[in-house]
Amino acid sequence: MPDERAPNGKDFDPVGAFREVRDNYLDVWAKTMVDAVNSDAYAKATGTMLDTYLTASSPFREALEKSMLQALSQLSMPSRADFISLAERLTNVEMKLDDIDAKLDEIANSVKKPSPAARPRQPATARNRRKGAK
Amino acid sequence: MVAEQFLELPEKLSAFNRAVTTKVPIAQTPKEVVWTLNKAKLYRYIPVLPEEKRHPVPLLLVFALMNRPYILDLRPGHSFVEFMVKQGYDLYLLDWGSPGPEDKRLKFDDYTLDYMPRAIRKMKTISGSKEFSMLGWCIGAILTTVYSALRADDGLRNLILLTAPLDFSDKQGITFARWVDERYFDVDKVLDATGNMPGEMIDYGAKALKPVDNYVLNYLKLWDNLDNPQVVEAWKAMNTWVTDNVPLAGGAFRQLVVDLYRNDRLMRGEWIIRGERVDLSQIRANLLTVIAEADHITPPCQSEAIMSKISSKDKELFRVRGGHIGIMAGSGADKITWPHIEGWLQTRSK
Repeated sequence: MPDERAPNGKDFDPVGAFREVRDNYLDVWAKTMVDAVNSDAYAKATGTMLDTYLTASSPFREALEKSMLQALSQLSMPSRADFISLAERLTNVEMKLDDIDAKLDEIANSVKKPSPAARPRQPATARNRRKGAK
Repeated sequence: MVAEQFLELPEKLSAFNRAVTTKVPIAQTPKEVVWTLNKAKLYRYIPVLPEEKRHPVPLLLVFALMNRPYILDLRPGHSFVEFMVKQGYDLYLLDWGSPGPEDKRLKFDDYTLDYMPRAIRKMKTISGSKEFSMLGWCIGAILTTVYSALRADDGLRNLILLTAPLDFSDKQGITFARWVDERYFDVDKVLDATGNMPGEMIDYGAKALKPVDNYVLNYLKLWDNLDNPQVVEAWKAMNTWVTDNVPLAGGAFRQLVVDLYRNDRLMRGEWIIRGERVDLSQIRANLLTVIAEADHITPPCQSEAIMSKISSKDKELFRVRGGHIGIMAGSGADKITWPHIEGWLQTRSK
């Protein structure tokens, strides 16, 4: 049987050795890729890819939107634009309600505060004491 | 030994598959919804200390628009929210929600001047305090900075900015700035097609900054630690958050690209929000800026210049070793970042 002991006396661990080589390789690869993506060439390449996709898909997207709009119109159903407009109006209503709610809170707080007549008497100050002495 | 590893392979593959595909319970700290507007919600965390032991100044957490805010309350035992509630803070979290097609026109103007003032008003009513503290993280730090400059007299006592992308002058040092350069990226064409910026595209952009780390090493870390339940649980929680993407409202994305990444309007004092110029010198609140030294998303150069632009007398810049998310959600966060934030805030919340 071959001796599986490393020169330092410990058991040789082929998996551990593989991991070390792997991690060193990945470390170098990671640094290289960070440099690669932080370059004008990468920005240009991804920009071109995205632009090509958007240009190519645009006629299909527009045709689909147009036909969907026609179909919804013929079925007397609201379109996406109608829903968007409605949702925006709802948000505005919600904001107004929120402002009213805040004003009601303010009124409720001011009502809760004791009126000047109901306030407990101030502790005697030097001025009060002088008045009382008269 | 190699044979043993080979025999364990099917079991390991099965465990790996389970870890990658199962979601874990996150955001478990008890809370209640106290305010809503459109998709936004304001949560108040249920205090665990009696009122006399709590800090009188409430704290509002504002996270980014395009990620879920539960990264601040990731899992029990490792949650910034849970930590701060235990320290006696009256804690609120502003969750922006997920914008739909009807929100594609939402801009920073709306978030900072319609949503935030109303949420803050509600928080003040509930807490009974005229003063408050605010913590903004990533895009949330842009929102809180803009709010602090435009509404400087609204009672803000303490401002904490985490990995704040505010300075866009160093185009070579910011990878995103390269990618959205007008020579390569047509923002209007993208938004005409998508309305909002899809969460998947934002996620790709964030991961592509460090492709090997995010697409290879992340999974290798799990593979190598499948026999360590603590690492697996932490990995699953983080993976749950990372894969839960939110789109960014089209109007806000356009501003981010054109006004900030391309023209650096905030730092140059030229950013106009609903007719008002954002003047950083108006900020007078106490300021703590936390910078992640190994941040690829918001490089440190983006968060430093704010220190010299504001009028606050009490300001501190705190550097932490770690990445954009790691400084708050990584394994060392509860030993370094959280205690520092809490210590800074504690003396200023009395």
